[in-house]
Amino acid sequence: MQHVIKTEEFTIGSEPYYQPLGREVEIFETAYANRIPVLLKGPTGCGKTRFMQYMAWKLRRPLITVSCHDDLTAADLVGRYLVAGGETVWLDGPLTRAVKAGGFCYLDEIVEARKDTTVVIHPLADDRRILPIEKRGEILAAPPEFLLAVSYNPGYQSVLKDLKQSTRQRFLAISFTYPPRETEAGIVSHESGISEELCLKLVSFAEKTRNLKDRGLIEGASTRLLIHAAKLMGAGISSREACRHAVSEALTDDEEMLRALGELAASIFCCRATFSTRSSSGTTSSGTFGSISSMMTRSVPY
Amino acid sequence: MPSTLKRISIASALLSHRDLERWLSHAYDILDHEGIGRFIEFTSHIEEEELQRFRTARGLRLSDVAHLLTTFLRGLSGTELRVAAGDESYTDTVTVFLPHAIDRYADLERDFMIYKLLAAHAWAQLTFGTLLPGKETLDKFLGEQGTDSPDIAALFRLFPGQGMAEHIYAVIEAVRLEYILRRELPGLMADICDIKNAYLKERPSLQGLSGKTLFVERLYQMYLGDRCGADRHEDADVAADALCRLAEHQSHEESLHSLMIICRQAEDARGEYSPLPIPFPLMIRPAAVSLQLRARRRIRKQTVERAIAKLLSMPEVRPRTRPAGRSTGDERRAIPEREYLLISGRVLELDAELREILDDRGGMPGGILVKGAGLGAEASPLTLDELVAEADTVQQAAGGIPYDEWDFKRGGFKKKWCMVHEKDIHPDAEPFVEMTLKRYRGTVTLLRRKFELLRREPKMLRRQKEGDDIDLDAVVEAYADSIAGRSPSEGLFTKYDRHERSMASLFLLDMSGSTKGWILEAEKEALVLMAEALETLGDRYAIYGFSGMTRNKCDFFHCKSFDEPYSEMVKRRISGISPKDYTRMGPAIRHATNLLSDVKARTKLLITISDGRPEDYDAYKGTYGIEDTRKALIEAKEQGVHSFCITIDREAGSYIRHMYGAVNYAVIDDVRQLPHRITEIYRRLTF
Repeated sequence: MQHVIKTEEFTIGSEPYYQPLGREVEIFETAYANRIPVLLKGPTGCGKTRFMQYMAWKLRRPLITVSCHDDLTAADLVGRYLVAGGETVWLDGPLTRAVKAGGFCYLDEIVEARKDTTVVIHPLADDRRILPIEKRGEILAAPPEFLLAVSYNPGYQSVLKDLKQSTRQRFLAISFTYPPRETEAGIVSHESGISEELCLKLVSFAEKTRNLKDRGLIEGASTRLLIHAAKLMGAGISSREACRHAVSEALTDDEEMLRALGELAASIFCCRATFSTRSSSGTTSSGTFGSISSMMTRSVPY
Repeated sequence: MPSTLKRISIASALLSHRDLERWLSHAYDILDHEGIGRFIEFTSHIEEEELQRFRTARGLRLSDVAHLLTTFLRGLSGTELRVAAGDESYTDTVTVFLPHAIDRYADLERDFMIYKLLAAHAWAQLTFGTLLPGKETLDKFLGEQGTDSPDIAALFRLFPGQGMAEHIYAVIEAVRLEYILRRELPGLMADICDIKNAYLKERPSLQGLSGKTLFVERLYQMYLGDRCGADRHEDADVAADALCRLAEHQSHEESLHSLMIICRQAEDARGEYSPLPIPFPLMIRPAAVSLQLRARRRIRKQTVERAIAKLLSMPEVRPRTRPAGRSTGDERRAIPEREYLLISGRVLELDAELREILDDRGGMPGGILVKGAGLGAEASPLTLDELVAEADTVQQAAGGIPYDEWDFKRGGFKKKWCMVHEKDIHPDAEPFVEMTLKRYRGTVTLLRRKFELLRREPKMLRRQKEGDDIDLDAVVEAYADSIAGRSPSEGLFTKYDRHERSMASLFLLDMSGSTKGWILEAEKEALVLMAEALETLGDRYAIYGFSGMTRNKCDFFHCKSFDEPYSEMVKRRISGISPKDYTRMGPAIRHATNLLSDVKARTKLLITISDGRPEDYDAYKGTYGIEDTRKALIEAKEQGVHSFCITIDREAGSYIRHMYGAVNYAVIDDVRQLPHRITEIYRRLTF
């Protein structure tokens, strides 16, 4: 028989790996004890969701995650009537379930949700801690164990993707960034199982891509991408190929940028033999760099 | 001039068609930027080695990989560095100069490897203190001769033989940075020995060289041959020893110490120093670095001054203060007493840089110096960087923003020909907007009603097959239907219809002198009515004006930007719109297009309002101006900006059709009609 668990019964059994960078664990715990909702901000793939899982495990609460998108309506969060067998049946939304179960409700990428949707969390996110269910004419008071957490990425500098002041000023905010070099290498190493020395090089590559943020790239490589690359490397795929498939191609579609990222990866990782060590007469060419010749034939506007 | 023509014809015989084009284009650029003198000088050099530069080089040309190298450098450094061709390889901290072509190997990838190595060395020179050792280090070496803002050029002036010292430093740093690069970019450095060896083979023999030249050349060959360490016991002199030590962990400060030691020894050698070129990796040019640093400091200072001037012109903001009584004695932390500058209610932290500027200006009218510990915490002071960033988001330094201009006679662009300066319109206290609204009272009411009807709000659609929520009415009906035995309808849901208008319009107003009087009044009135309509509609819009005199002074006046609300200040700026100089339309359209391309909107509209043909003080008139304007409009179209030109010209000639033909336009012969017509035009355009 298939094993199905209800959303509100989903608890995290074993300890998720999380490497604290500052006092975020302590701050989160204090916020929880004082029933203050929490806002996690930071670039994608730097550990916000993992942190939530870790905290849910640590505080032994069920975790209900909602990934927000621009079609998410208030009904999607609170609940709706369904028609079943000639009758209307009420179905709780994830937010309502979390409130009832006294769990953690984590709204991932909250800015993606429509503005009229985000306001439903307002009464829950201040000292009232209630969830009005308009359609049923009910008001649900949140138990002390309930916690609301939202995340967003301030890196998208679009006016449309900004969090309203009335929303953000209800939360206690914890900022996430890419961890320092050694720590990040440690995380990548732990998650992938490859040596820390190789991971340091991966992090160094990631730093170079982060330098390109807003200069051709929308975001730099996240820790998550590095873990992907490291896993490929662990499976015996060459480091340059791993960087290309797990990082470069994931970051951009732009030919020129891909080439430049390839060059950066090639500069950092020694590979077995890109060039034969024969001197000038040698015309060995490598896979990573078959492109210069093709660029030469392209006409250059003058 | 005839001799110039003759030389051009000689050159055309020597060069292939494409190469000649390249050569001539370069000559034009010189003519544009450096004048006729340099142009004649350039065209007189038709010797083989001069022309060689324009021949399609064998091997790898820099122009083919410049873009790639720029991104490569950007990734390494995280800052913006330009890549340009130069006679020797070096960097002045802004541009990395590299050879215009590399043709050392039959293999283009290997040639490219050299470019990458040169670029990596340039990055290392900038990152690891070679060119920017920092004030502390410099002060140590300069001692008494130090200045407030010393740079590496000051250090090199200490040496009697400056050229020789530069070469020695280039070698020393090559050794040190190679060590760093091996650690940071091991993949890139994998083949370094081969490459250096190839360079070593091309060096002259040491025999026959004498004195100082021999000394430096020997050091350089030691670097190329990786002979540090190996032959240590043979070359047991101080210089070699110092150089060898550099191959290990060394800071840039120790590197400078070594330079001092080695130079002292080199000075003892006999003979004149006749420099041999150092083709790999990079040369060091302290004078060029110093020039850039000074230019940067100057620009920074001007920017700060401008930012302060802007701050002074802004309406006063009351400093935020903490509600009294909330902070008790025990809570208060000891904050060091600092000085702040208060301007228009904003608090600026007074750092050394700002103090210097204040000293230069001889005080700050309208600004007050205050001293206090608590102030910083209460009013969240701005740092100078924040101030500059705030006031200077668009403006690129003091020089304005460069734009190309189309020269129809040449059939090409004059590169970076026009300088656009963005300025604020000086606000005027006259209640122009209110007066206009009063005068057009009837029209305004009508307008509001008309545009209100156009406003689309999210509508709830009923009886949908799928949707966000259940349409209870429909469900009840369907239930009744099914009980009655009829087949129930499937549309049981409600859905939000979100037809969001994603629209951004930029109104570009001709503020040239010829609009003085009725025309400008009408333009301003038109703006007021338009703003009224747009506010009702809720569309995003911006208002700018343009005028100017000559290509270096293309003024672009800011009245309302896209994200700015239609505030009292904007109204006062509309009131303050006044006739200025000439009508150079091309750069204004290009800059407006640029602003629009930064805006996120599905439809982008540029509406220009002018009073006739484009004309400037210089040669920008007649066909030239018309062609450039036409070109600018076509460029806008290519960038997805829809243009619409409204022209108020009684004798609208046939040129109008040609100039605006590429886009849409309307000619209004009676100025007084403009305010009525413009809203109608907008409605027609956007619905």
